[in-house]
Amino acid sequence: MKFKTFAAFVGPSVFMMLLFIAAPLVSVFIQSFQVTQPILQQVEVETCTPGFLTQTCVTETKTVPVLDDAGKTMTETRWVGLQSYRNVLQMDKFWEAVGNGSWNDIMQIDFWKALRFTLSFTLLTLPLVIGVGLAIALAVNNATRSIRGPIIFISLLPFIITPVIGSLSIYWLFVGDGILTAMMERWTGTNISMFAQAWTIELLMYFYRVWHVAPFAFVIFYAGLQTVNMDTLESAVIDGASRWERLRHVIVPHLMPLIVFIALIHLMDCYRVFEEIVGFRSQAHVISLQWLTYDFMTPDDAGNRAISRASASAMLTMIGIVFLLILPLRRTWRDHKGSAH
Amino acid sequence: MSTPKAMQQSFALRFSSGAFLAFWCLLAAFPIFWIAVMSFKSPVDAFADSAWDVITGPATRANGDGLSIIDIALGLAVLYFAIRWAFTRLPGLVQRYCPPGLLVLGWIIGALAYAILFVLIFFGVLPLVLGVLNSLLGPLGNPVLGLTTQHYVAVWAENEFYRNFLNSMLVTAGVVTISLTVGTLAGYGLARSGSDLAFWLLILALVFRALPHSVLVAGYLPVFINSSEILRPIFGEGAPTLYGQPWAVIAVLVSINQPFTIWMLRSFFQNIPAELDEAARVDGCSHFQAFRRVIMPVMWPGVITTGLFSFLLGYNDFLVTSLLLDAQNQTMVPAIAGYFNRETTTTDQVEAVAAAVSITAPLFLLVMVFQRQIVSGLTAGAVKG
Amino acid sequence: MFLKKIALAGAISLMGSAAFAACSYENTTPIKSLTAGFEAWKAVTDAMAECGNFQAELDQEFRTKQPAAFEANPSLYQIGGVSNGTITPLINAGTIRPLDDLVAKYGQNLTPNQLIRINGKIMAVAMMVNTQHLMYRSDILADLGIETPTTWDEVYAAAEKIKEAGVVDYPLGATMKSGWNLAQEFVNMYPGHGGQFFNDDNTTAVNSDAGVAALETMKKALAFTDPEVLVSDSTYVQQQFQQGKIAMANLWSSRAGAMNDPAESQVVGKVAMAAAPKAVADGAPATTLWWDGIVIAKNISDEEADAAFRLAMEGLDAETVQGANDAAIWLVNGYVPTEIAEGAIATATAAPAPPAYPSTTQMGLLHTALGNELPAFLTGDRDAAATLTAIEEAYTTSAKEAGVLK
Repeated sequence: MKFKTFAAFVGPSVFMMLLFIAAPLVSVFIQSFQVTQPILQQVEVETCTPGFLTQTCVTETKTVPVLDDAGKTMTETRWVGLQSYRNVLQMDKFWEAVGNGSWNDIMQIDFWKALRFTLSFTLLTLPLVIGVGLAIALAVNNATRSIRGPIIFISLLPFIITPVIGSLSIYWLFVGDGILTAMMERWTGTNISMFAQAWTIELLMYFYRVWHVAPFAFVIFYAGLQTVNMDTLESAVIDGASRWERLRHVIVPHLMPLIVFIALIHLMDCYRVFEEIVGFRSQAHVISLQWLTYDFMTPDDAGNRAISRASASAMLTMIGIVFLLILPLRRTWRDHKGSAH
Repeated sequence: MSTPKAMQQSFALRFSSGAFLAFWCLLAAFPIFWIAVMSFKSPVDAFADSAWDVITGPATRANGDGLSIIDIALGLAVLYFAIRWAFTRLPGLVQRYCPPGLLVLGWIIGALAYAILFVLIFFGVLPLVLGVLNSLLGPLGNPVLGLTTQHYVAVWAENEFYRNFLNSMLVTAGVVTISLTVGTLAGYGLARSGSDLAFWLLILALVFRALPHSVLVAGYLPVFINSSEILRPIFGEGAPTLYGQPWAVIAVLVSINQPFTIWMLRSFFQNIPAELDEAARVDGCSHFQAFRRVIMPVMWPGVITTGLFSFLLGYNDFLVTSLLLDAQNQTMVPAIAGYFNRETTTTDQVEAVAAAVSITAPLFLLVMVFQRQIVSGLTAGAVKG
Repeated sequence: MFLKKIALAGAISLMGSAAFAACSYENTTPIKSLTAGFEAWKAVTDAMAECGNFQAELDQEFRTKQPAAFEANPSLYQIGGVSNGTITPLINAGTIRPLDDLVAKYGQNLTPNQLIRINGKIMAVAMMVNTQHLMYRSDILADLGIETPTTWDEVYAAAEKIKEAGVVDYPLGATMKSGWNLAQEFVNMYPGHGGQFFNDDNTTAVNSDAGVAALETMKKALAFTDPEVLVSDSTYVQQQFQQGKIAMANLWSSRAGAMNDPAESQVVGKVAMAAAPKAVADGAPATTLWWDGIVIAKNISDEEADAAFRLAMEGLDAETVQGANDAAIWLVNGYVPTEIAEGAIATATAAPAPPAYPSTTQMGLLHTALGNELPAFLTGDRDAAATLTAIEEAYTTSAKEAGVLK
């Protein structure tokens, strides 16, 4: 294919990605090395606010930004090098905590706390999603043809349901004396509070993610199972391979590209875990990297947002994801080299 | 198809596989079933401690809203036949009455007609019949199960949720159409070009897909709000304010979804033998003509599957739509989140649950209709790594 | 039956709009507003909509959108709804206009108390006040012979008795959801212990004895609250009250009305309101006073501003307030305080009176730092001193980034 034709085919797509993804990305990259501050001045301000029936007036010195002639806030932008990265990583505290050998101290630093959770979330749910997805696919493939339709339909529900609503529905089942918590309390005879300590919340978050994503893995594996070569399978039977051996040596290798595909997608999606933190309100106990970025980004009542630190933390998230993706991508590179020529 | 003897399974294996499936189905459906139950109860019942109270709804019944045994029996029967019919007869009807070229359109029309018919029968005819039956049958007609539709009425009639529904439809339709148009071209180009540039584009797309969305979206907001000022030097006085415009949100969602779309479609096109379009090219077609004449007729399974994923993204998105749309153009998901995040009352929350259940219904329908296509599309190779 | 109900609901809503469509004039200039979405705003914007050509955006993201939307030229909205917290960025950026001439023209019905003056100029018109105050189950306290607590020590003593009596699941409820809510609890408690938030050079002064005292007082509550208190926001506490699971809480006065809503509450008429408890016996109630009100954008034409303000006055009239009397502690003429307003009024008129929420750029930064660092103290991962140091460090980092500290 000539370059010109190729460009015409991919042009619109690339243009959109450049405009709406690459451009913001570049600006985030630049901002992570900059700090933009308003020029501030100290002024005496008298403020009168209502009480009930009468007002109270206070005069105090306030720090307010200077406005230019056009009425816009005057700002100055400085290059600060890696300062914002330092503020996010807090390496001095980190090394100090490492020196003390205190895991607890490390977990008091937001970034490392978030990294710990994000990594364990990603790596623990990955095998679960693949395992559960494969198990459902095999079981459905095993089921009578007439009930497959409804079962596939029910299995897909957790995947298609709006994530905000899915996580809330699970939250309600467990929060306070939610009915599932109440049920567990009746079984065990103790008072259970699922949202009172970190590990139970984490457990629920893992559960939710597997519940939500396993159907995606399932439907892809199920599609893959439809194309398993029956001849290979039968010759394996003739060779006396047990059911387990057939699974390991015929079916799994056949599904391998799909497993890589799911793993790739799952790694990416999990590494930016965010909805669970908000949905399960776990900020007090566990936070994730994207949540950290979001928190820097969210303005407080006075309108401040920590853009520089947000950019730095976003870039750090990016670096992490590239590391995670290197392994599965090497395979794609080999395929590309193998198929291209 | 007869199963070869060696493939036959022991009873224990069949049983455990069946039990596992049953357990999974329960797990998959229960949370959704439960919020559906909650949405029909008065606030006191919906958040009651005991599961039994949530199901039977004593407080709701005390308000005079409820179902009698007859209501339940007849309702379940109608529901059963409706679902059965959807799985068995509907596909046949659609295939019979629809010209083969327009199958997708046929399915959409069929699904819509089915939905309207169902709503008419279940909420229109059935209550009338039951009203008469209940008054005739005395004690059997007394309500035993508390159930109220007041939250649905509140959401759809008083809070004008249908506006959000229409906005959602607009955004979703836009996302699916544009995403597929742009994505199919790019996917085909990438599949047929063996160049390193194509490979690196794919990798770049992958990295883009990995970006945390909150960063991107927060970057859009100031630009979108001030776009009229920013674009004035280029477009003059007519420069649009992008904030609040559905088409701007569509563009953003399409871009965010582009990496996934082109990956899916590329692997799908790779499984269409290149000899097909090469033959067409030998006959003197240009690449575009070959694409239109040869590839387009065979690409639909993959496109439908990819389209479904685009649909889910556009329909379920919260982050982008909540930040970049104003109240007049708000879609359903941020509208529902609005019920929770503002200073809410318990009634607001149950109304939000009712809204949440309502927005799940179209998704149900969609999967029911396209289930076969998803599997066959994926089988045809949209996911080969 | 169902159809009948829909028809009925439709008819009622039609009748409703017909009965209320009583705007004194016809608005011809298109006006848009951006406000928060709670009950009082719904009442006010509904009243404004009756005059025509008005679009209200009741948005939970209004904090994020408002500063940028008002900075655009022309401003995307003419009317903004603010509280004393969220007005700060608008004042700092100079995107709202002084209202003195408009108040002179259309503000005959406003009381002087409603006019928010900054350096003598009217910048906003307040419509309601809000504060956190003590709500308690009057029946339980009466049964157990407990006087209405006036200090936090008395609250904990009462909680101890209620716990022993075992009449409710948890004696206390608290809005300690990590983040904004939890930080607000500290902002209530700390001045109650006599603490100052900032030194003159903009560094924070929370790392002090008063800070430790405030933290210790907060932590005592955990013995009596739901273990899941770090996820409970005001809606959750309100629900716990309504379901009869808790007996006392320091809760927003705007939530009081819901206690007597028969459709949601199982404790109608049993919840009473009193002044917010004091942290020390001779101090002010440990809470802050808030107001909500309207502002008019600067980057719009004078005609639009005129129309917008006139419309806002129509929304803030006695008729609106009478239609939604218990939705808020209104400052508007025509409001009749009922018994659910008693606690808020007692709080606001206490001597010494609690401070208004001290909204400044620094306070915004400190509030965020508090919200992020306090949870570790309450989960027991960190002691009080280390927590205060962490708060100080977090504040210093963000204050340097924002340019408040050098």
